[in-house]
Amino acid sequence: MNEYLIPVLLIVLAPVIGGLVYGFDRIVKARMQRRIGPPLLQPFYDFLKLADKRQMMVHSTHAFLGIMHFVSLWFALAVLLLGGDLILVIFLHLLSTSLLILAGYSTRSVFSHLGANRMAISVLAYEPVLIIIAVSIFMINGSFDTSVVFASDQPLLYKMPLAFIALLLILPIKLKKSPFDVAEAHQEITGGVEIEYSGLFFEAVYTAKWLDYIFCYTLVFLFAGSNILLGIGLVVFTFFYLAALDNSTARVNYKQMLRFSLGVAFTLAFINLLINSLI
Amino acid sequence: MNLASYRKKSPWILHFNAGGCNGCDIEILACLGPKYDIERFGMINTGNPKQSDILLITGPVTKRTRERLVEIYAQMPEPKVVISCGACASTGGVFRGMYNCEGGVDQFIPVDVYVCGCGTRPEQIIDGVVQALGILEKKTKALEESVKLKKEAWQEDGQLNRRNIADEIKPLLA
Ligand code: SF4
Repeated sequence: MNEYLIPVLLIVLAPVIGGLVYGFDRIVKARMQRRIGPPLLQPFYDFLKLADKRQMMVHSTHAFLGIMHFVSLWFALAVLLLGGDLILVIFLHLLSTSLLILAGYSTRSVFSHLGANRMAISVLAYEPVLIIIAVSIFMINGSFDTSVVFASDQPLLYKMPLAFIALLLILPIKLKKSPFDVAEAHQEITGGVEIEYSGLFFEAVYTAKWLDYIFCYTLVFLFAGSNILLGIGLVVFTFFYLAALDNSTARVNYKQMLRFSLGVAFTLAFINLLINSLI
Repeated sequence: MNLASYRKKSPWILHFNAGGCNGCDIEILACLGPKYDIERFGMINTGNPKQSDILLITGPVTKRTRERLVEIYAQMPEPKVVISCGACASTGGVFRGMYNCEGGVDQFIPVDVYVCGCGTRPEQIIDGVVQALGILEKKTKALEESVKLKKEAWQEDGQLNRRNIADEIKPLLA
């Protein structure tokens, strides 16, 4: 019973924690630019304000796909935290992303189409690396279950450091941080797939972004095994690494992104897999 | 819980240049920089009409931007406020009476706050936005219509003067 308490609490509170993480992220980013930045609860203010706007939707399928994106992402997070199959988690996450891509294609807006194209390309960039990392974890633990990873007292970080570096390299793509934020590119295509959402339905997409933070940091946490202190250290390190990277780099185009992730991150993960399978 | 009180805590801004000289636009962008940092009030420059609450317009309406301005205004979900930034957007400014120029913004869409200055100062823009937030909090989700549709106040040069509609804005401010 007790071992389920923390995961279930985390799952139920995931949007709240994610919102706090996002708010803190905005403050840290502002401080790095010598600004004061918004208050910590800013994401929730945005949330409450959006709930009060007049409802407008492009068509019902579009709105439905946005909400399903949120629900399936939450489900993927639940499976990850409850110790489910890592491959299943990755594919559930892929499902939720593809729902959003479909939503992007379902409208007639050019920016929405562009955003959906770019999002599909970023999926192409990070998904193979994630799968390879999952297979490496299987090589070490003999099981895809994350519960085994959470329970093992030897942190994965020491056994597969290259995979961790590969994960660090693809996280900006996943979280749509610069330099790999082509899918969102606010100055260029003003948000991409989310451009046609408004009011309550944008809220679903907006909150899904917070869930994505929790999802990614849980993936980072996986590398610490049962060592909670190390896990928190890794998460904090990743947080500041992402904020610093976001502030200090300019956006690359999608070809450079694809070349980088498949050339460098994928190679690193693959070398790591080879080493793991040889030892 | 009164949701309307959260409107002023996260005003998202849409900035539209209807044909100005870019002077006011640079001042608006200066507001976002480290010196004035309007993000500390929760403001974001979204660039997306469907998700924003405040429409900041600079420059006079030209014959080319007329339809786009109205379209963008119509795409914003209510409640929303419109701020006309600078002399151009308010009255036509130095471009008033030119062959390609239609004059002030208020002839086409309802404007809530006028910010003066040719090259508005960032402090003035922030002041204007703060005033607009007061109006935003009192607004409802009802549709509004342009002043020009309500009354035909043609002046000798064929353009609407903002003094004509000052009375309609006053009750909102009170
Ligand atoms: S008000 Fe002055 S600075 Fe602003 S757009 Fe018009 S001419 Fe340019």
